[in-house]
Amino acid sequence: MNDVFLSVNNISKRFGAVQALDSVDLSVKKGEILCLVGENGSGKSTLIKIIAGVVEPDSGEIIIEGKSYKKLSAFESMKSGIQVIYQDLSLFPNLTVAENISLNQRIEKGEKFVNWRGVKEIAERELKSIGKPINPDALVEELSVADKQVVAICRALTFGAKLIIMDEPTTALTKNEVDTLFSIIGDLKKRDISVIFVSHKLSEIFKISEKVTVLRDGKKVGDFTSSELDNEKLIFYMTGKKIVNTPFECKIEKEKLLPLLEVRNLSKKRNFIDINFKLYGGEILGITGLLGSGRSELAIAIFGLNSPDTGEIFIEGKPVKIGSAWQAIDLGICYLSEDRLGKGLFIEKEIGENLEVAILKDFISKSGLIRKKMIKKKIEELSKELNIKTPSLDFTVASLSGGNQQKVVVAKWIAANPKIFILDGPTVGIDVGSKSDIHQIIRGLAEKGIGIIIISDEIPEIMQNTNRILIMQRGRIVKELQTNCTNEDELNRVITMAKAEEDAKI
Amino acid sequence: MKKVFRQNEIYVFFIMVVLAIVITSINRYFFTLENFLDLLRGHSFEGILAIGFFIVLLSGGIDVSFTAVAVVGMYLGVLTVVKTGINNIWLAIAVACLVGLILGAINAVFIGVFKIPTLITTLGTLTAFQGGLLSYLQATRQTVISNPPQSIINFGKAVLFRIERPDGKILELSIYGLIFAAVAIVTWIILKYTTLGRSIKAMGGNMEAARRAGFNILGTQFFIYCYVGMLAGLAGLMLGSYLRYVDALYLVGNELTIIAAVVLGGASIMGGRGSIIGTVLGVSVITIINTSLVLMKIPSYFQQAVIGMIIVVSVSITAYRQKVRERQVRVLDVD
Repeated sequence: MNDVFLSVNNISKRFGAVQALDSVDLSVKKGEILCLVGENGSGKSTLIKIIAGVVEPDSGEIIIEGKSYKKLSAFESMKSGIQVIYQDLSLFPNLTVAENISLNQRIEKGEKFVNWRGVKEIAERELKSIGKPINPDALVEELSVADKQVVAICRALTFGAKLIIMDEPTTALTKNEVDTLFSIIGDLKKRDISVIFVSHKLSEIFKISEKVTVLRDGKKVGDFTSSELDNEKLIFYMTGKKIVNTPFECKIEKEKLLPLLEVRNLSKKRNFIDINFKLYGGEILGITGLLGSGRSELAIAIFGLNSPDTGEIFIEGKPVKIGSAWQAIDLGICYLSEDRLGKGLFIEKEIGENLEVAILKDFISKSGLIRKKMIKKKIEELSKELNIKTPSLDFTVASLSGGNQQKVVVAKWIAANPKIFILDGPTVGIDVGSKSDIHQIIRGLAEKGIGIIIISDEIPEIMQNTNRILIMQRGRIVKELQTNCTNEDELNRVITMAKAEEDAKI
Repeated sequence: MKKVFRQNEIYVFFIMVVLAIVITSINRYFFTLENFLDLLRGHSFEGILAIGFFIVLLSGGIDVSFTAVAVVGMYLGVLTVVKTGINNIWLAIAVACLVGLILGAINAVFIGVFKIPTLITTLGTLTAFQGGLLSYLQATRQTVISNPPQSIINFGKAVLFRIERPDGKILELSIYGLIFAAVAIVTWIILKYTTLGRSIKAMGGNMEAARRAGFNILGTQFFIYCYVGMLAGLAGLMLGSYLRYVDALYLVGNELTIIAAVVLGGASIMGGRGSIIGTVLGVSVITIINTSLVLMKIPSYFQQAVIGMIIVVSVSITAYRQKVRERQVRVLDVD
């Protein structure tokens, strides 16, 4: 048992009426990669905060390298070699890479003056040890998310970290960047540094972890080795429900129908080139490709927010010009943005009010007044239909979990009665349970005859929930696949090949 | 070389050179050493105020109370010399700086302890500080000291060297230029070479991260507002001595000139960005514009319009550059 770095025994924590953690155990060996998984509200973040010394447990003990603590201060936690990298990375965008790496440590040590040569040396040494040639003089705001993450890891290493906890580190990364991150984590392991990795993405969990600890509703479900788990089991442990993933079947015989949406030769300089596709009612069309492939730019072009240079758009066979989001909505097109917090919600307002704005214009009486009661009824129906988990619609959207926030956004758009619904990254950063709810909602809409486009990085999501897939690369559609005639491997291969061809040209 | 041109200072410097050339072609007097030395004497106090304002911006805050702090510092500094009869400039300077420091500490209490937004706090204290001084002075029915003691006047006239040229022209380097340079250099050293200075900049970049990393935020905020208050008190006294006339109603209302200078120098209203060199250049450009408009007999209302325009344009340029930078990052993701 000597090689256990951290063990947490019987930890409980109550916040008011909520039992956030109920006698939870967790242990990490030196150099072990542990995945901590659970739905939102399962107690993951509370547990991390307790390990970081930010939250004090009600009972239980924390043992770090044999030393037992009843309560742990943030300082003791750091001193013992525990470093947490939060999802937002907590970097200073306006400072250089080198300074970001060493500033916190200098503050911690109470050094009053800056030795710029030393700052750069430390940074160069850490960057070298991790094998990433990032310019130490570059400003952090100029880096990609992946590089920023490397800086955050280097900063943790300067503190002599023995355990690095990463909170959902892959949310904003492309597939290649995730691979790089994993290879860095692999190197940390070789240096006997333990990693606790918090993630929602099932495929990553299997790829990276040796041990998986699952939490549900504040209780520990169990420790598993990744070999004894598969997708289905893991989801069952996390949610307590069996979530059946049957592939989507499109029930429309499209030969008989006019396409709901047709795009011909659509181009916009530096965004997308010569885009042609059709979307039929009842279909779910997947668009995938690496970040920067122009897929989101295309989506907002159809939604009227990014006017194309050339090309035509037809709705039910009629040519249309879409110059604004208003026109798009009038034509029955809805667009769910990638950035739900920034663009899809009034985050500090009540859930009810968020839903209200979307349907307001249908509930105005002849005298120009708002029919409050009818609106209230309608939004209650909506929230029930979508299974939004909240004690009351008077709570702010900010109080909801990511999955439920997304349901509010979807509810808003459904209220607008779309014919065509474009969803950009509909389940980014959302836990499995809500994810499957959202997929069910989307399929339900398709069954009603709505034409749906899902834009996503996640190959399994695309495979499960579409009937046709377009792959984009550098602004072009490079391939179209029928979902039932392909598989995840082929899809991955097409995406990587398209990228390789591009790289060869450069 | 590429990096040099990305820096805002180069553009401001370029603007300054162009302005100097244009103005000299209209008025030959402009590009003379005498005029330069005159400007230095008359506008060093603005430079010091600008450096103070810059530090607050860098930390992610905003302080609009500095003119009131300067006026209160100036008035009480001179009044102390008058009332005590101790005709010593050091006493006046010490009182002015101390008053500034105390008023700055009051700002810091609201901002750091009560967590009131900096703009709201300092808008309030701007009026409160000047109002407090005026209500104190109301008792004496006098809001000006039109005849300050000799030590004050001497301070305004003090020179480092004085050269009489054969053609009868006199060249004098005022001590003000030296004070301005000293303030700029000391502040630069604090910002560049001390952990305190680096945390000021870091806080302006990401306050939340600073909090998580355990920065002493309250202490840093006290330092910022006290230091800035002290600089304002000093600048106020310099102005009073230069004018040989101390007026409690002066200066307040001219905040925008200083703000324009700092923003033009490349400091971001959103915090975390800018430099001392940029601030000094910004003040130089604003001074050149203001004085040359006077030389060209252009009405002062027009000057106001120009100052306003400078703020809007420079803020827009900074915002645009930020946008371009973000776009570049996105392109990098593709590769």
